[in-house]
Amino acid sequence: MTQTGSPQDDATFPDFLDDYFAECDEHLTSVRRLLLSLEGSVGRPEINRAVLDELFRHFHSLKGISGMVELRQAEDLAHRLEDFLRVLRQGDALLTAAGMDALFDGTQMLEQVVNVRRSGGTFPKVRDVAARIAQLVDARGVTRGEDLSTTDAEPAPPSTTPLWICTFSPSADLVERGIRVDTVRGRLTGVGEIVNAVPRVSADGSIAFDFLLAAHLDEGTTAAWRVDGIEVTRAPDATQMAAASEPADRDEAETTSPGAAVSSQFVRVDLSRLDELMRSVGDLVIGRARLADTLSRIEPRVPAGEWRAIQEHSLMIDRQLRTLREGIMRVRLVPVGEIFRRMPFVVRDLARETGKRVRLELRGQSTEIDKFLIERMMDPILHLVRNAVSHGIETVDERVRAGKRPEGTIVLSAATAGDIVCLDIADDGRGIDPDAVIERARKAGLTIPSGPADSATLLSLICAPGFSTRDESDRASGRGVGMSVVQAAVEELSGTLSLETEKGTGTRFVLELPVTLAITDALIAKTGPETFAVPQGSVREVIEVAVETLLQVEENEIITYRGAALPIVRLSRLFGLPETTRNRLHVFVVGTGSAAIGIAVDRIVGQREVVVRAIADRLVKVAGISGATDLGDGHVVLILDPAMLARQMRERPDRIIAGARGALA
Amino acid sequence: MPRILIVDDSPTIRKMVRASLRPLDSFDFVEAANGLEAIEQVALSPVALIVLDLNMPDMHGVDVLRFLRNHAGSREVPVVVLTTRGDASSRDAAMTAGATHYLTKPFAPQALLSAAQDLLRGAPL
Repeated sequence: MTQTGSPQDDATFPDFLDDYFAECDEHLTSVRRLLLSLEGSVGRPEINRAVLDELFRHFHSLKGISGMVELRQAEDLAHRLEDFLRVLRQGDALLTAAGMDALFDGTQMLEQVVNVRRSGGTFPKVRDVAARIAQLVDARGVTRGEDLSTTDAEPAPPSTTPLWICTFSPSADLVERGIRVDTVRGRLTGVGEIVNAVPRVSADGSIAFDFLLAAHLDEGTTAAWRVDGIEVTRAPDATQMAAASEPADRDEAETTSPGAAVSSQFVRVDLSRLDELMRSVGDLVIGRARLADTLSRIEPRVPAGEWRAIQEHSLMIDRQLRTLREGIMRVRLVPVGEIFRRMPFVVRDLARETGKRVRLELRGQSTEIDKFLIERMMDPILHLVRNAVSHGIETVDERVRAGKRPEGTIVLSAATAGDIVCLDIADDGRGIDPDAVIERARKAGLTIPSGPADSATLLSLICAPGFSTRDESDRASGRGVGMSVVQAAVEELSGTLSLETEKGTGTRFVLELPVTLAITDALIAKTGPETFAVPQGSVREVIEVAVETLLQVEENEIITYRGAALPIVRLSRLFGLPETTRNRLHVFVVGTGSAAIGIAVDRIVGQREVVVRAIADRLVKVAGISGATDLGDGHVVLILDPAMLARQMRERPDRIIAGARGALA
Repeated sequence: MPRILIVDDSPTIRKMVRASLRPLDSFDFVEAANGLEAIEQVALSPVALIVLDLNMPDMHGVDVLRFLRNHAGSREVPVVVLTTRGDASSRDAAMTAGATHYLTKPFAPQALLSAAQDLLRGAPL
C-alpha cells in the first residue's frame, strides 16, 4: 500500500490529460469572467461574496486536478490564488489594485502553464508571480487551514416574491421518466430563485428534498409538478425554514454559488461526436436528394393520385431533415462571449505595458456561433484587438494634442444576420496612414498598385505576406502572427475580412463568417457543361446582365453597378470552359464596398441544400473552390469559394482593377 | 450488481476514480456531481461504497456525510473521503462526521483501490 497523497511513479493519469485540459478551460473561462466583475470592487470594503466564493471554488478545483496530472506549477499557482481568495473572503484584506493585478497575473500565468503542457514549449517562470501572491497573503498573517469560521449568509429572497416549499421524493419510476433531483432543480430555477435546498429523511425513512423557492406560481404549474413528484406548499416563514436547514457547526470553509446548481443540467459532448452526427445528417441530405432525383424520373409512370402522396411524403421528409439539421447545428453553437471574455485581459495588460489608456466595449456577447469557428477565430480576433491597442490607439499625450479624450475606445461586437456572423473590431485611434503603409510595402518589396490607396488596397497590402508594421510592437501585437495569417484564417472559413479606416479618426475591421459549415444552402449555377454551387450566405445579390453592357477595361470586364464599377469574373474564363452563346448572364454579387466583385455564370438553375465535403487532396485543391458536393444525381459538383475568388481578383489580375475603378471615377 | 458511488464536482476526477477502481469489476459505478445527486443515488438504491469529495458547490461533503450517517439506508456504508484539503482540521471534521477512510488528492490509484478493496471486504483500516 502506498503512502497517502503521493502518486506512484508508475501510476499517474496520463490518459486523462484531455479531460484535464477541457476542465481547465471551463474553470479558467469562469475565472476570467469573475475577475472582471471583481475589478469594480477594488478599494471597497464590501466585495461581492458570491463572486469570491465561486472564484475560490474554481481555483480549488484547478489545484486538485492539476495535482492529479502532476502539473506542479499549475497546482502551486492555483494554491496561492486560492489562499489569497481565502484571505479576501474572511475580510482580512482589502482588495487593492496590486491585489487585483496579482489575481490577473496569476490567472494568466496559470493559463500559460496549462497551455504549455497542452501544446508544448517552455514553461514560464511562475516563481515571481507566486511569490507576489504569497506576499499578499502573508501580509495579513494568515496561515492555511485557519478559516474555520466562515458561513454563508443565504441570499435574501426578494421580499415581494412569495416563498414555497417544493418537496421532491425521488423514485425509480420518476428516474425512468427522466425526473431526478437535478432536473427538478433546473425546473425550479426556471421559474424562480431557489433560496435553499436540503435533503431530509421522511417519517417513513425515505429520502426527500426540500427546495425553498421564491417564485410566482400558478395553480397549473403546481398541478403539473405534482404529477412529476413535486409537492408544493406555501412556506410559512422564510427565516424559520432557513434556520432549520442551516447545517450545524461548519468545520471548514465552504463555497456556495447560486449559479452552480444549474450546471449539472448540461452535458459535455466531444466535438468529434457532433461532427459524426453532422456527417450522418449530411449523408441523409444526399440520400434524400438522390431519392428526389429518382422520383422525378419515375413521375410520368406514376398515377397522379399516388404521385401526390409520394410528393407530400417527400416534402415532409425534407422539412424534417431540415429541422434535424438545424437542431444539430444549434447544439454546436456557443456564445461568442467565450472569445470576448479574454479580451479585457489582453487589453488591460497591453495598455499597462504601453502606458496607454484604453476602454474596451463588448457588444453582442450572447451571439452564438459554431464551436469550430470559435476555436479558429480566437487568434485572429486576439491579433486584431492587440493591433488596435498597440497601433490604433494613441498615447494619452498624442490623443490630448489631437483634441480627443485621453482614453481610447475599442469596440468589439458580434451580430448575426441570417447565416452570417459578423465580428467587428473598431477603435477610435489614429487610423491607418496610407502613405506609411505604402512606404512600408515598398520597403518590403511588395507591388504597389497605382491609383488611390483606398481601404481595400490598404487591406490587401497589410495582409500581404512579408508586410509587417513597426518592429517594436511586433511582440505585443503579432507574436509572429501577421495580418496575412488573420486573413488566411478568415478565408479558410469561407469568410471575408474588410477594412474601414480614416486617418486621425479610427480603424474598423469587419469579419464576416458563415455561422456554421458542413451543410449550407447554395445556389446552383451552370457554366458551359459544368455545374457549380455557390453558398447562398456569401451572395449579396443576383443580377442579370446583358453581355453587351460589359465594359472591357484592359484585361478585365466591369459593369456599372449602383453607380460604381463592379469587376466581373466570368467563371467560364476562369475555368477555361466554352463561352455561352446567350446574350444575358447571371451575376452573383459577393463582397461589400470596394471589395465587391461579380461572378458571372451562364444561368442559375436552382437553389438547394448542399453537403460540403472538403477537398483534402492538396493536388486537387484549387484556390476559389472550397469543396465538392453530390447533388443526388451522382454527379460531383464543385462548390465555389466566393471570398477566395474575390481575393484572387484583387491580387492577381492585379491592380488593373484599381486602375479601372480610377478610370471610371 | 452492487454499486459504488463516486461523488465529485470535477468530471476529470470522477473519471480518474473510476479508472482506479476498474479492477473491482463485480461492481456497477454510479456518479454524482454534487451532494444532492449523491443523496438521491443512495435514496434510489443501496450502495456498497462511496467515494466522496468535500469541497463541492451546493452542499459540502461533510454535510453530505452527516446526512448519510443519519439515514438508515446508508448508516453503515463505508465512505472514502477524497479531498484536496490536507489539513488536520478538515480531516478531523470528516472523520467526526463519519468518514471511514480519508485520502488526499493527488491520490495514487493503487492507494484508492487498496482502501476500497479493504473496506468492501469489511476489513478495518
